[in-house]
Amino acid sequence: MTTNATHAGLLHTTWGTLSSHYRRHPGQLAMLLLGLWVASALWSGVQAINASARDSYARAESLFSAQLDSVVRRDNQPLSLDAYLTLRRAGMPVSPLVEGEMTIDDGTHLRVIGIDPLTLPGESSLARQQSDAAALRDWILPPHRARIAPEQVEAARDDSRLPPLETDPSLPPGTLITDIGVAQQLLGVDTLSRLVVAPGQSLDLPPSLVRQSAAALASPGQLTDSFHLNLTAMGLLALIVGLFIVHAALGLALEQRLGMLRTLRALGVPGRTLVIALALELLAIGLLGAVLGIVSGVGLARLLLPDVAASLDALYDTDVASHLALPWYYWLGGLAVTLGGLFSAGLGMLWRAARLDILALGKAQAWRARLHRQLRLQALAGAVLLAVAAWLGWRLGNRPNPQELALGFAMVAALLLGASLWLPPLLAGGLGQLSRQLRSRPRLQWALADLQLQLPRLQLPMMALLLALSANLGVGSMVGGFRLTFLDWLDQRLLADMYVRPTEAQHADVIAWLENRDEVRVILEARHAEAPRLDAEGQATGQPLALFGITPAAVMQRNWPLLETATGRMAAWQALSAGNGIFINEQLAHRDGLAPGDTLYLRGPQGPVTLAIVAVYPDYGNPSGEAVLSASYLAERFTASPGSLGVVLRPDATRDVADLQAALGERFGLSGDAAVDQRAVKRTATEVFERTFAITQALNVLTLAVAGLALLTTLLAQAGARRAQLAPLWALGVSRQQLIGLQFGQLVSAATGTALLAIPLGLGLAWALVAVINVAAFGWRLPLHIFPDQIAMTLLLAMLVAALAALLPTWRLWRVPPRQLLQEFSAA
Amino acid sequence: MLQLTNLTKTYPTPQGPLHVLDGVDLRLAAGESLALMGESGSGKSTLLHLAAGLDTPDRGDVVFEGQSVSALSEPRRAALRRQRLGLVFQQFHLVPSLSVADNLTLQARLAGRADTRWTQHLLARLGLAGLNDRYPEQLSGGQQQRLAIGRALAAKPRLLLADEPTGNLDEAAADQVLELLRELIEESGCALLMVTHSARVAAPLDRCVHLQRGRLAEAGP
Repeated sequence: MTTNATHAGLLHTTWGTLSSHYRRHPGQLAMLLLGLWVASALWSGVQAINASARDSYARAESLFSAQLDSVVRRDNQPLSLDAYLTLRRAGMPVSPLVEGEMTIDDGTHLRVIGIDPLTLPGESSLARQQSDAAALRDWILPPHRARIAPEQVEAARDDSRLPPLETDPSLPPGTLITDIGVAQQLLGVDTLSRLVVAPGQSLDLPPSLVRQSAAALASPGQLTDSFHLNLTAMGLLALIVGLFIVHAALGLALEQRLGMLRTLRALGVPGRTLVIALALELLAIGLLGAVLGIVSGVGLARLLLPDVAASLDALYDTDVASHLALPWYYWLGGLAVTLGGLFSAGLGMLWRAARLDILALGKAQAWRARLHRQLRLQALAGAVLLAVAAWLGWRLGNRPNPQELALGFAMVAALLLGASLWLPPLLAGGLGQLSRQLRSRPRLQWALADLQLQLPRLQLPMMALLLALSANLGVGSMVGGFRLTFLDWLDQRLLADMYVRPTEAQHADVIAWLENRDEVRVILEARHAEAPRLDAEGQATGQPLALFGITPAAVMQRNWPLLETATGRMAAWQALSAGNGIFINEQLAHRDGLAPGDTLYLRGPQGPVTLAIVAVYPDYGNPSGEAVLSASYLAERFTASPGSLGVVLRPDATRDVADLQAALGERFGLSGDAAVDQRAVKRTATEVFERTFAITQALNVLTLAVAGLALLTTLLAQAGARRAQLAPLWALGVSRQQLIGLQFGQLVSAATGTALLAIPLGLGLAWALVAVINVAAFGWRLPLHIFPDQIAMTLLLAMLVAALAALLPTWRLWRVPPRQLLQEFSAA
Repeated sequence: MLQLTNLTKTYPTPQGPLHVLDGVDLRLAAGESLALMGESGSGKSTLLHLAAGLDTPDRGDVVFEGQSVSALSEPRRAALRRQRLGLVFQQFHLVPSLSVADNLTLQARLAGRADTRWTQHLLARLGLAGLNDRYPEQLSGGQQQRLAIGRALAAKPRLLLADEPTGNLDEAAADQVLELLRELIEESGCALLMVTHSARVAAPLDRCVHLQRGRLAEAGP
C-alpha cells in the first residue's frame, strides 16, 4: 500500500515536473495541440461526411423499391391503371407503385412513394412490417398512415395534406411512404410510375413494357465509393501533415527537456516511471486534441455536407441527408485515429526517453554526426519507398483494375513518403555544396552553415510543406486536366443546340415539324434499350448491357470523340452506320478487357445479335459500361423506343433556340425538361463538375495552410534558441536588419528548394492520379496535362508560405532590445 | 558507509580501450567528508558516477550501507539515489521550467518526504528566501549552485556526492558556497564525497585522496 502510494507520488511529481516545461513554453503546447487539432479535425470532418453519406446509402439500399425488379414502359411514360390490371388478370404478381416529389408547407421537398401493401411482394421490408392486420387496416383505411424519414418528421407534421405520420428511421432522408391512393392524391396524378415484382419471378410482358432488374442497378454505395475514397485520401493527407506538426513539436519538446529528463534520472526517477509519465502526458494531450479535433471536425462536416449532398445528388442521383447522422463508432474511430497518430508520432520520443543515457549530462551534443547518420538512414528508407512506388507504378500503369485501387493508394503513399524522406538529405547536400562554393562570402557562408544547423528542426515542417505543395500541384494538375478534357468532351458530345424529349405518340410529328423548320440543319435522333450479354456459345453472361442509339450524321462523325478504333475513324463510322459495328465506352472496355476488333454477343428480341467492336469512346463521369449503335439499327434489332431528339441549328440560327423552344411549347406542349437548351445542360454539367472538386480543392488549401502553420510554429518555438545563435553574429558587427534579411533569405531558400522537389513529385502524383487511381476507381483514363502556370504558382506559394511563416519570428527579432541580445550573447 | 572495492572501468575509444579506473579501493565513514582530487581525465567523475549508481563498474563493487550498489537493478539503483543520496553537479542541472521553490523540493518530493520546515530553513540558510517564485535563469551563478546544493540536501540524504560544485563560480562565490555546504553537512549529519581539482576547496574537508591515471595515488590527512 505504502509502496503503491510512494510510486503514485513519484509518478505525480515526475509528471508535474515534465509538464512544467509546457507551462513555461505554452507556445510549444499550443503547437502540439494545433497539429493534433488540425489533423483530427480534417480527418474527423471527412469521416463524418462519409459516415453520414453511408448511413443514407444504407437506408436507400434497404428500401423495398431498391430490392425489387421494376416494370416500366419502353418510352418511360407513366403506366395506366389498366396496364397494371391487365397484368394482374394474366396472373402476374406485380404491384403498383407511384413515385413523385411534393413540396410541403415549409418548402421542404419530399419524395413520395405510394404502395399497395396487399400486393407488395412479401420479401420487402415494408411488406413484412405491414403484415400485422391492425397496421394494415390503419394503412389502407382513412385517415390512412404515412411513414416518413426522421429528418423531415417535424417539418411535415404541420402539413394538413398529409395523413398521420409515423417515423421510420430506416427510410432514406426526405422519403415519405403511404398508401397508393393517398400518394396519387398528394402528387395530383392518376397514373402509376412503375410496377414492382420480386426478383426471380418470371413475367411474360407485352412488347411495350420492359423489366428492369434491381441487381442491374449499381447501388449508391458502389457508385459513390470512389468519391468517398478521394475524400478519405485527402483527409488522410491532412492527418499526416498534421501529425508532422505533432512530431516536430514532440521532437522539439524532447530536445529541450533532455537535460530535465537526465536530471530526473540522476535524482532517482526510474526509466520506466519516466516513460509512463511521458506516455500519460501524451494521452492527456491526445485526449484534449482529439476532443477539440472531433468537435471541430463535426462542425466542418456540418458546413460542407450540404454541398457534398448536392454534388452526390447531381452526380449519382443519391439522396444524402444534409445533416449529420453519426454512428457511435465514428466517435470511437476518431479518438482511436487521433491517439494512434499521436502515439506513432511520439513513439520516437518514448523510445529515446527509455534509452536515455544519464551520463550524457552536460555533454555537448554531437549533432553533426547524429544528423549525418540520420540523413543516411532517411535517404536509404526513402530510396526503398521510391523503388516500391516505381515498381507499383510500372505494374499498375499498364492495366490498373478496381481490385488494385488500394495498391494504387499504396503507390501514392510510398511516392510521397519516399520523396519526403529524401528532402532533408537533398537539402543538406545542396547546402553543403553551396557552402563550399561561397567561402569568399562569409556572411552567406555563415547563413548556409546556420541553415544546416537548423535542418534537424526544420526538416519536418519542410517535409509537410513538400507534401502539401506536391498535393496541391498534383491534384491541381489532375483537376485542371480533367476540366479541359471534360469541357472539350462536353462540347463534342453535346453537339445539338437543343434537346427535345417528345412522348412516343408525338415523336414522328415532332420530327416532321422540325424538318420543315428553316433554322434546323440536322435532327439527331437518340434511342435507348437494354440487352443481355451472351458469350460466344450463346449463353447469358449476367448483367444486361445499356445500349444507346445515335444518328451517325456528318456533324456527329466529325465531332464525336473516339479513343481507339479498329481500322480508323472513317471505317468505324461506316461500320456503325451500316449496323455491323458497335462502339463501346472506355468503362466497358476497361472492365471487361474489350478492345476494337473484339466481338460483342447480345440477345435481341428477335434472337442473338453479333456485333464487331469498332471503336472505344470516352464517357467521363459515367460509372457504368455502355455501348452505342446506330439509332435506326437499335430500333430495328432491339425494338428500342424513341428517345430524345438533338436539334442542330444552322450556324446563323443558333441564337433562335428560345424561339424554337417557344414554338415547340406552343405546338406540342413541350416545355421544361422536354425541350432543353444545350447551353443550360452544359452549364449544369460544369456546375456539377466544379462542385465535385470544390471540396477536394478546399481540403488542398487547408493542407497547405497546415504546412504553413507547421513552419510558423516551429520557427516560433525555436525563436529563443535562434536568438542565442544570432546574438554572437550581432556582437561581431552584423546589423539587426542584416540578421533579419539573412533569416528571411534562409527560410525562403529552403522553401524554394523544397518547391523544386515538389514539382517533379507533384507531376508524379498527377500521373498516379490520372493513370492509376482514376482508371482503377472510375474506369476511365485522363490525359496528363502539365500547366506551367501551376508550376510557377507552386514556387510562389512555397516562397509565400515561408515568408508568411518567417514574418512573426523576424518581427519579434526586430523588436528585441539590444540589452537582451547582449544578455543572450553572454549566455551563448 | 561507502566502500569501493577494486573498482575498474574501461571505455572503448577509437585509439583502443581507455582504462579510466584501475582497481580503486576507498572507504568513507558516516558523517565523514572526503575530497577526491586529480587532474582532468584522472577518473574522478567516473568514480563519482559509479558511487551514485549512475553507471556500473566492469570489475569491483560499490557497497553503500552494506548493500552492493552494483548488484542492484536499475529501478533499485534509482530508488537508492532518490532516497539516500544527494547529487550536486558542476553545471547545476536545475530544471529550467520549475520555480526556485519547486526545484529545491524536487528530490524530496520524488522521495516522498518533503519537509516544509526543513525546506524553509534551507531557503533561509541558502539566502534564497524571497526568491521562491523565480526561475533558475533569473538567478546568478552562485545562487543557482546554492539552489542545487539545497535540492540535494532537501531530501535529507545519507551521503552527498558533489562533482566540482564550485567549478563554475568565481573565488568569492565559491568560498561562500563551500562554507555554506560545510555548515549544512554538519547540520544534517550526512557524509560528503566531493570531486575537485582545487587544493583550496579540498583543504577544509576531513580527508583528501588523489586519483592519478585511474589509481589512488596518495591519501591526505
